This record gives sequence, structure tokens and C-alpha cells, in this order.
Amino acid sequence: MEKTANALREQAIEIRFGQIGLVQVRVHTTDPGAILDELTGRTATAPQFFERTAVCLDLTPLPKLPEVSEVRVVIDTVRRAGMLVVGLVQPVGLMPTNEQPEANAAIEALAKALDLPVLTHFRAPNRPVPVVQAAPPPVAPALPTLVHQQPVRSGQRVYARDRDLIVTSTIAAGAEVVADGHVHIYSTLRGRVMAGAHGDTGARIFCQEFNAELVSIAGVFRVFETIPAELAGRPVQAWLTGENLHFACIT
Amino acid sequence: MTEIIVVTSGKGGVGKTTTSASLACGLARRGKKVAVIDFDIGLRNLDLIMGCERRVVYDFVNVIQNECTLRQALIKDKRLETLFVLAASQTRDKDALTSDGVRRVFDELAAEGFDYIICDSPAGIEKGAHLAMYFADRAVVVVNPEVSSVRDSDRILGLLASKTHRAEQGNGGVKEHLLLTRYSPKRVASGEMMSVDDVKEILGLDVVGVVPESTDVLQASNAGVPVILNDESDVSRAYEDAVARLLGETVPLRFISEPKKGFFARMFGG
Repeated sequence: MEKTANALREQAIEIRFGQIGLVQVRVHTTDPGAILDELTGRTATAPQFFERTAVCLDLTPLPKLPEVSEVRVVIDTVRRAGMLVVGLVQPVGLMPTNEQPEANAAIEALAKALDLPVLTHFRAPNRPVPVVQAAPPPVAPALPTLVHQQPVRSGQRVYARDRDLIVTSTIAAGAEVVADGHVHIYSTLRGRVMAGAHGDTGARIFCQEFNAELVSIAGVFRVFETIPAELAGRPVQAWLTGENLHFACIT
Repeated sequence: MTEIIVVTSGKGGVGKTTTSASLACGLARRGKKVAVIDFDIGLRNLDLIMGCERRVVYDFVNVIQNECTLRQALIKDKRLETLFVLAASQTRDKDALTSDGVRRVFDELAAEGFDYIICDSPAGIEKGAHLAMYFADRAVVVVNPEVSSVRDSDRILGLLASKTHRAEQGNGGVKEHLLLTRYSPKRVASGEMMSVDDVKEILGLDVVGVVPESTDVLQASNAGVPVILNDESDVSRAYEDAVARLLGETVPLRFISEPKKGFFARMFGG
């Protein structure tokens, strides 16, 4: 009982970060009549889309910084058109550079007075994005091969991320060994084995005593309902050419 | 030092409770002070097999929830001086067990000078089974010579190697033993049943005992006398051997091949 209560208490709120699209209203004038005319004209085209939509006010197109009371009127007007103002746009990249700090401070002060958040990260309109030469992806350091020495029991899973895997003990039916590289098994394989789990088609599987349930390389797999007599219990290698999985005894 | 042994299997009906009762009796007969605990909360059976079902006043859950003392709940066996039973609750569910509570009971038993604590695990891999194995030093995995039991035992062995206190501490893990029950050499010979060697090979473990299939087990259960105490039975001898091996003695395996029929038996279809 106590445990349930604890669990509930832990679940009282959850904070999650996510991205949502937000409509921006760029204000060119503080005249409520003009704004209302324009907005109702727009919302009439898609009333369901604009009904109670959260919008963000961009005040940068205005010729001069508006007073708090003026902005309140604008917010009221937008609301009458059916939309809800939830914040002010931070004028990052929307102003000439020398006016930037001043504008930021002014918007910040306005937002405080209006009890609204300032929202950032809007893309600058019609401004060419400076082209940055993408740095070459860092070469992943070659990780040492993962050596697993305990038996892999039914229901267990061993995964060698970004590397090869060596298993020196039995892999039971219902167990799973997975590597992004090659898989070497120096024992009996009765479970499932997957090599090249992230799509490396050159990955191979080597196994001392083959009795696998399933073999997969780079997503190409084969299920063994019955093991072919020439492979059963023998040392086997598996590899991929194109879409075909090949098996051969290692002699 | 108190040693905690869990008797587990994954699959139900393979003989965990019979084995728990017999191993506990066997150890007690050798003068060890033994407590055998039923972890199958809600489906208690051990008290029946031990023949003390009418003497259960307080149970394991009562102790864990501080509703009585450990001494009040321990039922002293009438046959063996040093054997005590801690019954499961029939009316609670498995959530009544807590890790802290189980540890406290084990600590108290250790303080009382018990040599062995035998934990009779419920079937499955849920909370009861998890807590039964969590503090174990050794595990006796009971397996029947058939594929589904072997598969489930393999799963349990995996959990023993990862989800136990010893495994988490990294101090050598739980020592695992395999105990085959309901073994029928005749059916193995005819290919109907897996052999000891098959099971050993699949699970990669040595066996601590092989108990033959016998009607003595059912009779013993119904009578409330652990089958190991029926000295006439092969099952009893097999469990005695298992107890000896658990104590580190080397005893050859018995009852794994079909007894050779004598001349008269062959002649007269004995």
C-alpha cells in the first residue's frame, strides 16, 4: 500500500522537453483596428486552425519600441481574433547588430511587465545562413573486442556495441548474442546470433558447434527450424554477399 | 557461518518443495541446525510436506511485518531436533515480502546459530522467486529431464548469475548445483527422456544428485513425511547422496541406469 502511494507521489508531475511549432504574429502597427481587420481576415480562411492557437508576438517590425499599454492592447486584439498570445519573440538576428543588446533589454523589460516569457531560437527571416564547412565525422576509436566468458543463459542478451564479440561459453536456446562487428563463438551455439547489428554487411559469424536458432548479419537473417545435417554440431562460418546469407563448415 | 541455499527451478511441479524438505531433513540428520523457509506466499505447501500444517500459528509474512517474533513463527520439527520450518502465509500475496524484511529474518537466523537456511522458491521468476534467490550463497536448481524444464532452469541460472546479491557484489556469484528429479532410466534407455549427460551438457553444470521417479514421493507427500525419511526408498538414498555431495563428499551417482534384471525376473517377467 505504502509502495503504491510512493509510486503515485513520484508520478505527480513529469517534466518533458519537446519541440512544438508556434505561430508568430509580426506586428507592423499598434493600431488595434488595423490588426483586428487583418487578423479576422486571415482567421476566416481557416477558423479551426487559428481557433485558440498559441501565438508569439514579434515586435521588431515596429518603427519604435511600444509602451507596455500599447502591447497590452495588441495582445487583447489578437485574443479577440481568437488566438492566444503566449510570449514575445527575442529579437536575436532580427535587428542590426549594434542595436541588438538594447533591443534585447527592452523586450526583456516589456515581457517582465506583461508577465510573458521571451522565446528564442526563431530563425532569422530571409537572412542567408552562413555556410559552415561541416567537420568530418570523428573517426570512432577502435574498441577492444568484448570477451564474454560466462554461459549465456536463456533470456540473457550480450551486446558488443561498436566492436567484435568473442564468446567462450555455451549460448543456450533462447539466449541472444549481438555485435556491431564480427561474432566468434568458441563453444556451442544454440541461441540467436547477430553480427553487423548496425548494418555492417562485412561482418561475419564464426562458431565452433553450430546449433543456432537464428543467424543474422546486417539485418539479413535465417531461422533454423531444423539445422541442415551438414552444419549441425560442426564448426561453421556465416557471411553475407548482397542479400544472401551463406553458411559453410570450417574444415 | 550460516549458508543460505535456495531450491529453485523456474518451472512448477518439478519437485522443489519435495527437494527442500528432503535436503533440510538430510542436513538436520547430520546434526546441522537447519531452517527451511517457504517463499511461496499464498500457495503454501512446505508445511504439508513437512507434516506440520496444523501447527502453523505465525508465518513468514507475520515475521517480516513485525507481527510476531521469529521464535514464535519457527515450527520445530517433531522428528529432528535441529530442524525448523518457517511456513508461508496462505492468505497474503507475494507483495507482502520485502527485501529488507527477508534480509532481517536471515540475519536473525544467523544470530540464532543456524548452519543452513533452505529457501523453497515458488515457481516462476516473479518477486517471490527473486527474493528466495536474492541472498543465496548456493542454489540447487531442480530440473526434470525434459526440454521445457531444462529451458526454464537455464533461465533461472541466468538470473542467479545476474540478479542476486552475490552477483551484484561481484564476489564469486552464487554457487550453482543441478538436481535431476523424476528420472527414469528405463525411459532414458528407450529415448523418451533426456539423459543426465544431455542435461549436464545443455546447462553446462555438474549434477549434485539424480532422484529416480518413484511413487514413494507421492505417498510421502500425502503422509506429511519428507521422502528422505523413508529409508526403504531409492528416492531417500538419492537425496542422502545429494546431501553428502552438498557437504563436499564425493559419492558416485546411483539410480541412473536400469537395474539389470536377474535370471528369474527375466524368466518370469518380474
